[in-house]
Amino acid sequence: MKSVVLEEVGVSFGKLKALIDVSIRASAGEVLMLAGPNGAGKSTLMRVLLGLVRPSSGQLLVDDVATQVNHRFKAQLGYLPEAVAFSENLTGSQVLRFFAQARGVDRKRVDAVLERVGLTQASRRRVRGYSRGMRQRLGIAVAILTEPALLVLDEPTGGLDQEGLELLWSVLSEWRESERVVIMATHDLTLVERRVDCVCVLDAGRRVAFDSPSGLRRKVGLPLTVTFEVVDDRIDEVAERIERWGRAELDREDGIVRVSVSTEDLLDLMDLRANLPGAVRSLRVEEPGMDEVYEALLQRGAA
Amino acid sequence: MSRVARALMWHELLERTRDRWVLVVSVLFAAMASAVSAYGSAGGHGEAAAGAALTGPSLVTLASLFVPLVALVLSHDAIVGERERNTLGLLLSMPVSRTEVVFAKFIGRGAALALSVALGMGTAIAFAGSAQRSVLISLMLPTLLLGLAFLAIGLLLSTLAPRQSVAASMVVVVWFGLVFFYDLGLLGLLVASDGGVSENTIAHLVVANPAGLYRVAMMQSLLGGQALSDLGLSVELPSVAQRALIWAAWVIGPTLLSALILARKRVLR
Repeated sequence: MKSVVLEEVGVSFGKLKALIDVSIRASAGEVLMLAGPNGAGKSTLMRVLLGLVRPSSGQLLVDDVATQVNHRFKAQLGYLPEAVAFSENLTGSQVLRFFAQARGVDRKRVDAVLERVGLTQASRRRVRGYSRGMRQRLGIAVAILTEPALLVLDEPTGGLDQEGLELLWSVLSEWRESERVVIMATHDLTLVERRVDCVCVLDAGRRVAFDSPSGLRRKVGLPLTVTFEVVDDRIDEVAERIERWGRAELDREDGIVRVSVSTEDLLDLMDLRANLPGAVRSLRVEEPGMDEVYEALLQRGAA
Repeated sequence: MSRVARALMWHELLERTRDRWVLVVSVLFAAMASAVSAYGSAGGHGEAAAGAALTGPSLVTLASLFVPLVALVLSHDAIVGERERNTLGLLLSMPVSRTEVVFAKFIGRGAALALSVALGMGTAIAFAGSAQRSVLISLMLPTLLLGLAFLAIGLLLSTLAPRQSVAASMVVVVWFGLVFFYDLGLLGLLVASDGGVSENTIAHLVVANPAGLYRVAMMQSLLGGQALSDLGLSVELPSVAQRALIWAAWVIGPTLLSALILARKRVLR
Protein backbone atom coordinates (compact mmCIF):
# COMPACT_ATOMS: atom_id res chain seq x y z
CA MET A 1 0.00 0.00 0.00
CA LYS A 2 1.68 3.20 -1.18
CA SER A 3 -1.02 5.67 -0.27
CA VAL A 4 -4.49 5.98 1.22
CA VAL A 5 -6.60 8.94 0.18
CA LEU A 6 -10.06 10.00 1.23
CA GLU A 7 -11.21 12.51 -1.35
CA GLU A 8 -13.91 15.09 -0.61
CA VAL A 9 -15.76 12.77 1.71
CA GLY A 10 -19.15 13.85 3.03
CA VAL A 11 -21.19 12.01 5.67
CA SER A 12 -24.69 12.95 6.79
CA PHE A 13 -26.77 11.46 9.58
CA GLY A 14 -30.22 12.75 8.75
CA LYS A 15 -29.94 16.55 8.88
CA LEU A 16 -26.62 16.44 10.70
CA LYS A 17 -23.60 16.84 8.46
CA ALA A 18 -20.85 14.92 10.23
CA LEU A 19 -18.26 15.45 7.47
CA ILE A 20 -18.27 18.07 4.75
CA ASP A 21 -15.98 17.45 1.76
CA VAL A 22 -13.00 16.33 3.82
CA SER A 23 -9.86 15.14 2.04
CA ILE A 24 -6.85 13.45 3.61
CA ARG A 25 -3.83 11.69 2.23
CA ALA A 26 -1.48 9.32 4.04
CA SER A 27 1.49 7.85 2.19
CA ALA A 28 3.60 4.80 2.92
CA GLY A 29 5.99 5.45 5.80
CA GLU A 30 3.80 8.26 7.19
CA VAL A 31 1.93 8.71 10.43
CA LEU A 32 -1.13 10.92 9.97
CA MET A 33 -2.76 12.43 13.02
CA LEU A 34 -6.40 13.51 13.10
CA ALA A 35 -7.02 16.29 15.60
CA GLY A 36 -10.08 18.25 16.56
CA PRO A 37 -12.52 18.88 19.39
CA ASN A 38 -15.22 16.37 20.32
CA GLY A 39 -17.73 16.05 17.50
CA ALA A 40 -15.28 17.42 14.92
CA GLY A 41 -15.61 14.30 12.77
CA LYS A 42 -12.38 12.42 13.57
CA SER A 43 -14.08 9.16 14.52
CA THR A 44 -16.53 9.43 11.63
CA LEU A 45 -13.63 9.84 9.22
CA MET A 46 -11.95 6.74 10.64
CA ARG A 47 -15.22 4.82 10.46
CA VAL A 48 -15.51 5.66 6.77
CA LEU A 49 -12.08 4.13 6.33
CA LEU A 50 -13.10 1.05 8.33
CA GLY A 51 -16.31 0.57 6.34
CA LEU A 52 -18.50 1.22 9.37
CA VAL A 53 -20.05 4.37 7.93
CA ARG A 54 -21.08 4.79 4.31
CA PRO A 55 -20.18 8.24 2.94
CA SER A 56 -22.82 10.19 1.06
CA SER A 57 -20.18 11.66 -1.23
CA GLY A 58 -16.49 11.37 -2.02
CA GLN A 59 -14.30 8.34 -2.54
CA LEU A 60 -11.50 6.21 -1.16
CA LEU A 61 -8.37 5.86 -3.26
CA VAL A 62 -5.73 3.24 -2.51
CA ASP A 63 -2.53 3.72 -4.52
CA ASP A 64 -4.48 6.34 -6.50
CA VAL A 65 -7.13 3.82 -7.58
CA ALA A 66 -10.76 4.22 -6.48
CA THR A 67 -11.51 1.42 -4.00
CA GLN A 68 -14.47 0.08 -2.05
CA VAL A 69 -14.08 -0.79 1.62
CA ASN A 70 -14.52 -4.49 0.86
CA HIS A 71 -13.20 -7.67 2.49
CA ARG A 72 -9.95 -7.42 0.52
CA PHE A 73 -9.31 -3.89 1.80
CA LYS A 74 -10.34 -4.84 5.33
CA ALA A 75 -7.84 -7.72 5.31
CA GLN A 76 -5.08 -5.06 5.19
CA LEU A 77 -6.46 -3.11 8.17
CA GLY A 78 -5.54 -3.13 11.84
CA TYR A 79 -7.76 -1.15 14.20
CA LEU A 80 -7.58 -0.03 17.80
CA PRO A 81 -10.92 1.42 18.95
CA GLU A 82 -11.05 4.09 21.64
CA ALA A 83 -11.28 2.69 25.20
CA VAL A 84 -11.74 -0.86 23.96
CA ALA A 85 -13.00 -3.37 26.55
CA PHE A 86 -12.65 -7.01 25.58
CA SER A 87 -14.74 -9.77 27.13
CA GLU A 88 -13.93 -9.90 30.83
CA ASN A 89 -14.67 -13.63 31.02
CA LEU A 90 -11.73 -14.57 28.80
CA THR A 91 -7.97 -14.42 29.31
CA GLY A 92 -5.78 -12.07 27.29
CA SER A 93 -4.42 -15.05 25.41
CA GLN A 94 -7.94 -16.30 24.52
CA VAL A 95 -8.92 -12.85 23.25
CA LEU A 96 -5.85 -12.63 21.04
CA ARG A 97 -6.23 -16.23 19.82
CA PHE A 98 -9.77 -15.42 18.63
CA PHE A 99 -8.51 -12.56 16.51
CA ALA A 100 -5.64 -14.77 15.30
CA GLN A 101 -8.08 -17.49 14.19
CA ALA A 102 -10.32 -14.89 12.55
CA ARG A 103 -7.37 -13.46 10.64
CA GLY A 104 -5.58 -16.72 9.88
CA VAL A 105 -2.55 -15.91 12.03
CA ASP A 106 -0.51 -18.73 13.58
CA ARG A 107 0.08 -19.38 17.28
CA LYS A 108 3.74 -18.33 17.14
CA ARG A 109 2.73 -14.84 16.08
CA VAL A 110 0.24 -14.65 18.97
CA ASP A 111 3.02 -15.46 21.44
CA ALA A 112 5.37 -12.99 19.75
CA VAL A 113 2.79 -10.18 19.89
CA LEU A 114 1.98 -10.90 23.55
CA GLU A 115 5.71 -10.65 24.23
CA ARG A 116 5.94 -7.43 22.21
CA VAL A 117 3.19 -5.70 24.21
CA GLY A 118 4.52 -7.02 27.52
CA LEU A 119 1.54 -9.23 28.36
CA THR A 120 3.18 -12.67 28.29
CA GLN A 121 3.06 -13.03 32.08
CA ALA A 122 -0.55 -11.81 32.26
CA SER A 123 -1.77 -13.69 29.20
CA ARG A 124 -3.41 -16.48 31.24
CA ARG A 125 -5.23 -14.04 33.50
CA ARG A 126 -8.80 -13.02 32.77
CA VAL A 127 -9.23 -9.57 31.23
CA ARG A 128 -11.42 -8.74 34.27
CA GLY A 129 -8.22 -8.38 36.30
CA TYR A 130 -6.41 -6.16 33.78
CA SER A 131 -5.67 -2.49 34.45
CA ARG A 132 -6.72 0.12 31.89
CA GLY A 133 -3.19 0.26 30.52
CA MET A 134 -3.05 -3.53 30.13
CA ARG A 135 -6.36 -3.50 28.26
CA GLN A 136 -4.97 -0.83 25.95
CA ARG A 137 -1.86 -2.95 25.35
CA LEU A 138 -4.11 -5.90 24.49
CA GLY A 139 -5.94 -3.61 22.05
CA ILE A 140 -2.61 -2.66 20.47
CA ALA A 141 -1.74 -6.37 20.24
CA VAL A 142 -5.00 -7.03 18.35
CA ALA A 143 -4.35 -4.09 16.03
CA ILE A 144 -0.81 -5.13 15.07
CA LEU A 145 -1.45 -8.89 15.04
CA THR A 146 -1.50 -9.22 11.25
CA GLU A 147 1.19 -6.55 10.66
CA PRO A 148 -1.41 -4.62 8.64
CA ALA A 149 -0.49 -2.26 5.83
CA LEU A 150 -2.85 0.33 7.32
CA LEU A 151 -3.04 0.82 11.07
CA VAL A 152 -5.96 2.90 12.38
CA LEU A 153 -5.64 3.97 16.02
CA ASP A 154 -8.34 5.83 17.95
CA GLU A 155 -6.92 7.57 21.04
CA PRO A 156 -4.02 5.08 21.34
CA THR A 157 -2.37 6.83 24.31
CA GLY A 158 -5.40 6.33 26.61
CA GLY A 159 -4.44 4.67 29.89
CA LEU A 160 -0.84 3.97 28.87
CA ASP A 161 1.99 4.51 31.36
CA GLN A 162 5.49 5.56 30.25
CA GLU A 163 6.39 1.97 29.34
CA GLY A 164 3.15 1.64 27.37
CA LEU A 165 3.86 4.88 25.55
CA GLU A 166 7.33 3.60 24.63
CA LEU A 167 5.63 0.52 23.17
CA LEU A 168 3.32 2.74 21.13
CA TRP A 169 6.22 4.88 19.88
CA SER A 170 8.12 1.74 18.84
CA VAL A 171 5.06 0.51 16.91
CA LEU A 172 4.79 3.87 15.12
CA SER A 173 8.51 3.78 14.28
CA GLU A 174 8.28 0.23 12.99
CA TRP A 175 5.32 1.06 10.75
CA ARG A 176 7.09 4.14 9.45
CA GLU A 177 10.34 2.29 8.76
CA SER A 178 8.57 -0.58 7.01
CA GLU A 179 6.77 1.88 4.69
CA ARG A 180 3.31 1.18 6.06
CA VAL A 181 0.60 3.72 6.90
CA VAL A 182 -0.70 4.84 10.30
CA ILE A 183 -3.75 7.05 10.81
CA MET A 184 -4.57 7.98 14.38
CA ALA A 185 -6.87 10.29 16.26
CA THR A 186 -5.77 11.75 19.56
CA HIS A 187 -6.24 14.62 21.96
CA ASP A 188 -2.67 14.31 23.25
CA LEU A 189 -1.25 16.61 20.59
CA THR A 190 1.89 17.63 22.41
CA LEU A 191 2.63 14.02 23.39
CA VAL A 192 2.50 12.65 19.85
CA GLU A 193 3.59 15.60 17.69
CA ARG A 194 7.20 14.43 17.40
CA ARG A 195 5.97 11.02 16.21
CA VAL A 196 3.69 12.19 13.41
CA ASP A 197 4.46 13.34 9.90
CA CYS A 198 1.20 15.02 9.10
CA VAL A 199 -1.70 16.58 11.04
CA CYS A 200 -5.26 17.02 9.84
CA VAL A 201 -7.24 19.42 12.01
CA LEU A 202 -11.01 19.01 11.82
CA ASP A 203 -13.72 21.21 13.26
CA ALA A 204 -17.49 20.81 12.91
CA GLY A 205 -17.02 18.27 10.12
CA ARG A 206 -14.73 20.47 8.03
CA ARG A 207 -11.01 20.26 7.43
CA VAL A 208 -9.40 23.30 9.01
CA ALA A 209 -5.77 22.47 8.23
CA PHE A 210 -3.63 19.69 6.78
CA ASP A 211 0.15 19.89 7.02
CA SER A 212 3.23 18.68 8.87
CA PRO A 213 3.55 19.91 12.50
CA SER A 214 6.25 22.40 11.47
CA GLY A 215 4.19 23.48 8.46
CA LEU A 216 1.22 24.15 10.72
CA ARG A 217 3.44 26.21 13.03
CA ARG A 218 4.65 28.29 10.10
CA LYS A 219 1.09 28.72 8.86
CA VAL A 220 -0.18 29.93 12.22
CA GLY A 221 2.87 32.14 12.82
CA LEU A 222 2.67 32.13 16.59
CA PRO A 223 5.67 33.80 18.27
CA LEU A 224 8.63 31.88 19.66
CA THR A 225 9.46 32.17 23.35
CA VAL A 226 13.07 33.08 24.19
CA THR A 227 14.03 32.75 27.83
CA PHE A 228 17.17 34.62 28.96
CA GLU A 229 18.82 33.80 32.25
CA VAL A 230 20.44 37.14 33.12
CA VAL A 231 23.27 38.09 35.48
CA ASP A 232 21.54 39.57 38.57
CA ASP A 233 22.75 43.18 38.44
CA ARG A 234 22.15 43.56 34.69
CA ILE A 235 18.51 42.48 34.41
CA ASP A 236 17.23 46.08 34.16
CA GLU A 237 19.71 46.82 31.40
CA VAL A 238 18.71 43.75 29.37
CA ALA A 239 14.99 44.39 29.81
CA GLU A 240 15.37 48.03 28.87
CA ARG A 241 17.33 47.24 25.68
CA ILE A 242 14.73 44.71 24.54
CA GLU A 243 11.86 47.09 25.32
CA ARG A 244 13.59 49.84 23.38
CA TRP A 245 14.06 47.43 20.47
CA GLY A 246 10.24 47.28 20.40
CA ARG A 247 9.68 44.12 18.38
CA ALA A 248 8.98 41.70 21.20
CA GLU A 249 6.75 41.29 24.22
CA LEU A 250 8.64 40.98 27.45
CA ASP A 251 8.02 39.37 30.82
CA ARG A 252 10.51 39.33 33.73
CA GLU A 253 10.89 37.53 37.02
CA ASP A 254 13.80 36.69 39.38
CA GLY A 255 16.74 36.83 36.98
CA ILE A 256 14.70 35.61 34.02
CA VAL A 257 13.62 37.65 31.03
CA ARG A 258 11.08 35.92 28.82
CA VAL A 259 10.53 37.33 25.34
CA SER A 260 7.89 36.54 22.73
CA VAL A 261 9.27 37.16 19.30
CA SER A 262 8.36 36.27 15.73
CA THR A 263 10.51 33.79 13.80
CA GLU A 264 11.63 36.59 11.45
CA ASP A 265 12.88 38.75 14.34
CA LEU A 266 14.75 35.97 16.15
CA LEU A 267 18.11 36.62 14.49
CA ASP A 268 17.90 40.34 15.27
CA LEU A 269 17.17 39.47 18.89
CA MET A 270 20.28 37.26 18.92
CA ASP A 271 22.32 40.20 17.55
CA LEU A 272 20.92 42.37 20.29
CA ARG A 273 22.01 39.82 22.90
CA ALA A 274 25.49 39.74 21.34
CA ASN A 275 25.70 43.49 22.00
CA LEU A 276 25.23 42.79 25.72
CA PRO A 277 28.41 40.81 26.43
CA GLY A 278 28.44 38.95 29.74
CA ALA A 279 24.84 39.91 30.62
CA VAL A 280 23.15 36.65 29.61
CA ARG A 281 24.15 33.41 31.31
CA SER A 282 22.05 31.15 29.10
CA LEU A 283 19.12 31.27 26.74
CA ARG A 284 16.45 28.85 25.55
CA VAL A 285 14.29 29.12 22.43
CA GLU A 286 10.92 27.36 22.46
CA GLU A 287 8.50 26.88 19.62
CA PRO A 288 4.81 27.27 20.46
CA GLY A 289 3.25 24.04 21.74
CA MET A 290 1.12 22.02 19.37
CA ASP A 291 -1.83 22.72 21.68
CA GLU A 292 -1.43 26.46 21.05
CA VAL A 293 -1.09 25.94 17.30
CA TYR A 294 -4.23 23.80 17.36
CA GLU A 295 -6.21 26.38 19.36
CA ALA A 296 -5.12 29.11 16.97
CA LEU A 297 -6.17 27.02 13.96
CA LEU A 298 -9.58 26.32 15.47
CA GLN A 299 -10.11 30.01 16.27
CA ARG A 300 -9.21 30.97 12.72
CA GLY A 301 -11.49 28.24 11.42
CA ALA A 302 -14.33 29.56 13.55
CA ALA A 303 -13.65 33.10 12.37
CA MET B 1 -19.21 -18.80 6.00
CA SER B 2 -16.06 -16.71 6.32
CA ARG B 3 -13.08 -17.52 8.53
CA VAL B 4 -13.96 -14.59 10.78
CA ALA B 5 -17.53 -15.89 11.25
CA ARG B 6 -16.29 -19.41 12.02
CA ALA B 7 -13.82 -18.07 14.59
CA LEU B 8 -16.58 -15.88 16.06
CA MET B 9 -18.86 -18.91 16.53
CA TRP B 10 -16.23 -20.70 18.64
CA HIS B 11 -15.38 -17.50 20.45
CA GLU B 12 -19.04 -16.97 21.39
CA LEU B 13 -19.35 -20.54 22.66
CA LEU B 14 -16.17 -20.20 24.75
CA GLU B 15 -17.10 -16.77 26.09
CA ARG B 16 -20.68 -17.71 27.01
CA THR B 17 -19.67 -20.89 28.83
CA ARG B 18 -17.53 -18.69 31.08
CA ASP B 19 -20.33 -16.25 31.91
CA ARG B 20 -21.23 -16.57 35.59
CA TRP B 21 -24.94 -15.76 35.10
CA VAL B 22 -25.31 -18.40 32.41
CA LEU B 23 -23.57 -20.89 34.71
CA VAL B 24 -25.74 -19.96 37.71
CA VAL B 25 -29.06 -20.32 35.84
CA SER B 26 -27.89 -23.52 34.08
CA VAL B 27 -26.75 -25.15 37.32
CA LEU B 28 -29.98 -24.12 39.06
CA PHE B 29 -32.00 -25.66 36.23
CA ALA B 30 -29.90 -28.84 36.40
CA ALA B 31 -30.31 -29.05 40.19
CA MET B 32 -34.08 -28.62 40.06
CA ALA B 33 -34.47 -30.97 37.10
CA SER B 34 -32.47 -33.68 38.86
CA ALA B 35 -34.51 -33.15 42.05
CA VAL B 36 -37.77 -33.59 40.11
CA SER B 37 -36.35 -36.65 38.41
CA ALA B 38 -35.03 -38.17 41.62
CA TYR B 39 -38.41 -37.61 43.31
CA GLY B 40 -40.14 -39.36 40.41
CA SER B 41 -37.94 -42.42 40.64
CA ALA B 42 -38.07 -42.68 44.46
CA GLY B 43 -40.69 -44.35 46.70
CA GLY B 44 -42.47 -47.72 46.69
CA HIS B 45 -43.79 -49.55 43.67
CA GLY B 46 -47.17 -47.78 43.44
CA GLU B 47 -45.74 -44.41 44.42
CA ALA B 48 -42.97 -44.83 41.86
CA ALA B 49 -45.47 -45.35 39.09
CA ALA B 50 -47.36 -42.20 40.08
CA GLY B 51 -44.12 -40.27 40.46
CA ALA B 52 -42.89 -41.43 37.08
CA ALA B 53 -46.07 -40.20 35.45
CA LEU B 54 -45.49 -36.78 36.97
CA THR B 55 -41.78 -36.48 36.17
CA GLY B 56 -42.26 -35.63 32.49
CA PRO B 57 -44.93 -32.94 33.00
CA SER B 58 -43.03 -31.48 35.96
CA LEU B 59 -39.87 -31.25 33.89
CA VAL B 60 -41.82 -29.61 31.05
CA THR B 61 -43.10 -26.97 33.46
CA LEU B 62 -39.61 -26.45 34.87
CA ALA B 63 -37.99 -26.26 31.43
CA SER B 64 -40.63 -23.83 30.16
CA LEU B 65 -39.58 -21.46 32.96
CA PHE B 66 -35.82 -21.95 33.01
CA VAL B 67 -34.81 -22.59 29.41
CA PRO B 68 -36.24 -19.27 28.09
CA LEU B 69 -34.44 -17.55 30.97
CA VAL B 70 -31.10 -19.21 30.12
CA ALA B 71 -31.59 -18.33 26.44
CA LEU B 72 -32.41 -14.68 27.16
CA VAL B 73 -29.46 -14.36 29.57
CA LEU B 74 -27.25 -15.87 26.87
CA SER B 75 -28.33 -13.57 24.07
CA HIS B 76 -29.41 -10.22 25.52
CA ASP B 77 -25.95 -8.63 25.22
CA ALA B 78 -24.92 -10.22 21.91
CA ILE B 79 -24.86 -7.01 19.88
CA VAL B 80 -25.42 -4.20 22.37
CA GLY B 81 -22.67 -5.61 24.62
CA GLU B 82 -20.16 -5.45 21.76
CA ARG B 83 -21.30 -1.92 20.96
CA GLU B 84 -20.92 -0.81 24.57
CA ARG B 85 -17.44 -2.34 24.87
CA ASN B 86 -16.37 -0.66 21.59
CA THR B 87 -15.62 -4.06 20.06
CA LEU B 88 -18.45 -4.09 17.51
CA GLY B 89 -16.53 -1.71 15.25
CA LEU B 90 -13.42 -3.82 15.71
CA LEU B 91 -15.35 -6.95 14.77
CA LEU B 92 -16.89 -5.32 11.70
CA SER B 93 -13.55 -3.86 10.61
CA MET B 94 -12.52 -7.45 9.83
CA PRO B 95 -13.50 -9.18 6.57
CA VAL B 96 -16.97 -10.28 7.69
CA SER B 97 -20.50 -9.12 6.87
CA ARG B 98 -22.94 -7.92 9.48
CA THR B 99 -25.32 -10.77 8.60
CA GLU B 100 -22.54 -13.29 9.22
CA VAL B 101 -21.83 -11.69 12.60
CA VAL B 102 -25.48 -12.09 13.65
CA PHE B 103 -25.68 -15.72 12.50
CA ALA B 104 -22.28 -16.61 13.99
CA LYS B 105 -23.40 -15.19 17.30
CA PHE B 106 -26.69 -17.09 17.09
CA ILE B 107 -24.96 -20.38 16.31
CA GLY B 108 -22.21 -19.93 18.93
CA ARG B 109 -24.65 -18.94 21.66
CA GLY B 110 -27.07 -21.63 20.46
CA ALA B 111 -24.31 -24.20 21.06
CA ALA B 112 -23.83 -22.81 24.57
CA LEU B 113 -27.59 -23.13 25.09
CA ALA B 114 -27.51 -26.72 23.86
CA LEU B 115 -24.82 -27.47 26.47
CA SER B 116 -26.97 -25.88 29.17
CA VAL B 117 -30.06 -27.88 28.10
CA ALA B 118 -27.96 -31.04 27.88
CA LEU B 119 -26.65 -30.40 31.40
CA GLY B 120 -30.16 -29.86 32.82
CA MET B 121 -31.90 -32.67 31.00
CA GLY B 122 -28.83 -34.91 31.22
CA THR B 123 -28.72 -34.76 35.01
CA ALA B 124 -32.51 -35.36 35.09
CA ILE B 125 -32.03 -38.42 32.89
CA ALA B 126 -29.19 -39.65 35.11
CA PHE B 127 -31.44 -39.51 38.18
CA ALA B 128 -34.48 -40.95 36.40
CA GLY B 129 -35.68 -44.55 36.59
CA SER B 130 -35.13 -46.65 33.48
CA ALA B 131 -38.80 -46.39 32.44
CA GLN B 132 -38.70 -42.61 32.40
CA ARG B 133 -35.45 -42.19 30.51
CA SER B 134 -36.86 -42.55 27.03
CA VAL B 135 -39.61 -40.01 27.88
CA LEU B 136 -37.06 -37.50 29.13
CA ILE B 137 -34.78 -38.06 26.11
CA SER B 138 -37.76 -37.28 23.86
CA LEU B 139 -38.05 -33.86 25.60
CA MET B 140 -34.51 -32.80 24.64
CA LEU B 141 -35.10 -31.55 21.10
CA PRO B 142 -38.36 -29.65 21.76
CA THR B 143 -36.73 -28.06 24.83
CA LEU B 144 -33.78 -26.95 22.73
CA LEU B 145 -36.21 -25.52 20.13
CA LEU B 146 -37.93 -23.56 22.90
CA GLY B 147 -34.55 -22.21 23.97
CA LEU B 148 -33.52 -21.30 20.42
CA ALA B 149 -36.75 -19.32 19.94
CA PHE B 150 -36.01 -17.25 23.04
CA LEU B 151 -32.35 -16.98 22.04
CA ALA B 152 -33.46 -15.40 18.76
CA ILE B 153 -35.80 -13.03 20.62
CA GLY B 154 -32.94 -12.00 22.93
CA LEU B 155 -30.67 -11.44 19.93
CA LEU B 156 -33.27 -9.16 18.34
CA LEU B 157 -33.65 -7.18 21.56
CA SER B 158 -29.86 -6.85 21.83
CA THR B 159 -29.81 -5.38 18.31
CA LEU B 160 -32.59 -2.91 19.10
CA ALA B 161 -31.50 -1.82 22.59
CA PRO B 162 -29.40 1.33 22.87
CA ARG B 163 -27.69 0.10 26.06
CA GLN B 164 -27.03 -3.25 27.70
CA SER B 165 -29.02 -2.25 30.80
CA VAL B 166 -32.02 -1.52 28.56
CA ALA B 167 -31.61 -4.90 26.85
CA ALA B 168 -31.53 -6.61 30.27
CA SER B 169 -34.77 -4.84 31.28
CA MET B 170 -36.38 -5.76 27.97
CA VAL B 171 -35.60 -9.47 28.33
CA VAL B 172 -37.02 -9.52 31.87
CA VAL B 173 -40.26 -8.00 30.52
CA VAL B 174 -40.32 -10.49 27.63
CA TRP B 175 -39.67 -13.43 29.95
CA PHE B 176 -42.45 -12.46 32.36
CA GLY B 177 -44.73 -11.55 29.47
CA LEU B 178 -44.38 -14.71 27.37
CA VAL B 179 -43.72 -17.27 30.10
CA PHE B 180 -45.99 -16.07 32.93
CA PHE B 181 -48.55 -13.50 31.92
CA TYR B 182 -49.37 -14.48 28.35
CA ASP B 183 -51.69 -17.37 29.28
CA LEU B 184 -53.22 -15.37 32.13
CA GLY B 185 -53.84 -12.52 29.73
CA LEU B 186 -55.60 -14.85 27.30
CA LEU B 187 -57.70 -16.23 30.14
CA GLY B 188 -58.61 -12.69 31.13
CA LEU B 189 -59.48 -11.92 27.53
CA LEU B 190 -61.73 -14.97 27.36
CA VAL B 191 -63.57 -13.96 30.52
CA ALA B 192 -63.72 -10.26 29.72
CA SER B 193 -65.00 -10.80 26.19
CA ASP B 194 -67.75 -13.04 27.58
CA GLY B 195 -67.67 -15.34 24.58
CA GLY B 196 -66.82 -12.57 22.11
CA VAL B 197 -63.48 -14.18 21.49
CA SER B 198 -63.94 -17.84 20.69
CA GLU B 199 -62.10 -20.62 22.52
CA ASN B 200 -60.67 -21.63 19.19
CA THR B 201 -59.06 -18.21 18.72
CA ILE B 202 -57.68 -18.34 22.24
CA ALA B 203 -56.31 -21.83 21.52
CA HIS B 204 -54.55 -20.50 18.42
CA LEU B 205 -53.12 -17.62 20.41
CA VAL B 206 -51.83 -20.04 23.07
CA VAL B 207 -49.81 -22.02 20.54
CA ALA B 208 -48.59 -18.87 18.77
CA ASN B 209 -46.42 -18.23 21.83
CA PRO B 210 -43.33 -20.51 21.80
CA ALA B 211 -43.65 -21.17 25.54
CA GLY B 212 -47.34 -22.03 25.08
CA LEU B 213 -46.70 -24.25 22.08
CA TYR B 214 -43.97 -26.11 23.98
CA ARG B 215 -46.13 -26.66 27.05
CA VAL B 216 -49.22 -27.79 25.14
CA ALA B 217 -47.30 -30.01 22.71
CA MET B 218 -45.28 -31.68 25.45
CA MET B 219 -48.23 -32.15 27.81
CA GLN B 220 -50.28 -33.64 25.02
CA SER B 221 -47.43 -35.92 24.07
CA LEU B 222 -46.86 -37.03 27.69
CA LEU B 223 -50.44 -37.15 29.00
CA GLY B 224 -52.53 -37.49 25.84
CA GLY B 225 -55.23 -35.13 24.58
CA GLN B 226 -57.87 -36.55 26.91
CA ALA B 227 -55.84 -35.72 30.01
CA LEU B 228 -55.62 -32.09 28.91
CA SER B 229 -59.35 -31.93 28.18
CA ASP B 230 -59.99 -33.31 31.66
CA LEU B 231 -57.98 -30.38 33.01
CA GLY B 232 -60.18 -28.01 31.01
CA LEU B 233 -57.46 -27.30 28.39
CA SER B 234 -59.25 -27.96 25.13
CA VAL B 235 -56.44 -26.73 22.89
CA GLU B 236 -56.23 -28.41 19.54
CA LEU B 237 -52.58 -28.97 18.70
CA PRO B 238 -51.49 -27.77 15.26
CA SER B 239 -50.25 -30.36 12.79
CA VAL B 240 -46.56 -31.30 12.77
CA ALA B 241 -46.00 -29.12 9.68
CA GLN B 242 -47.76 -26.16 11.30
CA ARG B 243 -45.72 -26.63 14.48
CA ALA B 244 -42.53 -26.75 12.45
CA LEU B 245 -43.57 -23.50 10.78
CA ILE B 246 -44.29 -21.82 14.11
CA TRP B 247 -40.92 -22.92 15.50
CA ALA B 248 -39.14 -21.83 12.33
CA ALA B 249 -40.85 -18.44 12.48
CA TRP B 250 -39.76 -17.92 16.09
CA VAL B 251 -36.19 -19.17 15.60
CA ILE B 252 -35.38 -17.73 12.16
CA GLY B 253 -37.65 -14.66 12.14
CA PRO B 254 -36.04 -12.64 14.95
CA THR B 255 -32.54 -13.70 13.83
CA LEU B 256 -33.16 -12.50 10.28
CA LEU B 257 -34.69 -9.31 11.60
CA SER B 258 -31.60 -8.73 13.76
CA ALA B 259 -29.38 -9.15 10.70
CA LEU B 260 -31.52 -6.73 8.69
CA ILE B 261 -31.55 -4.13 11.44
CA LEU B 262 -27.80 -4.39 12.05
CA ALA B 263 -27.14 -4.07 8.32
CA ARG B 264 -29.00 -0.76 8.25
CA LYS B 265 -28.09 0.60 11.64
CA ARG B 266 -25.32 3.00 12.62
CA VAL B 267 -23.42 0.51 14.67
CA LEU B 268 -21.32 2.87 16.70
CA ARG B 269 -22.08 5.73 19.01
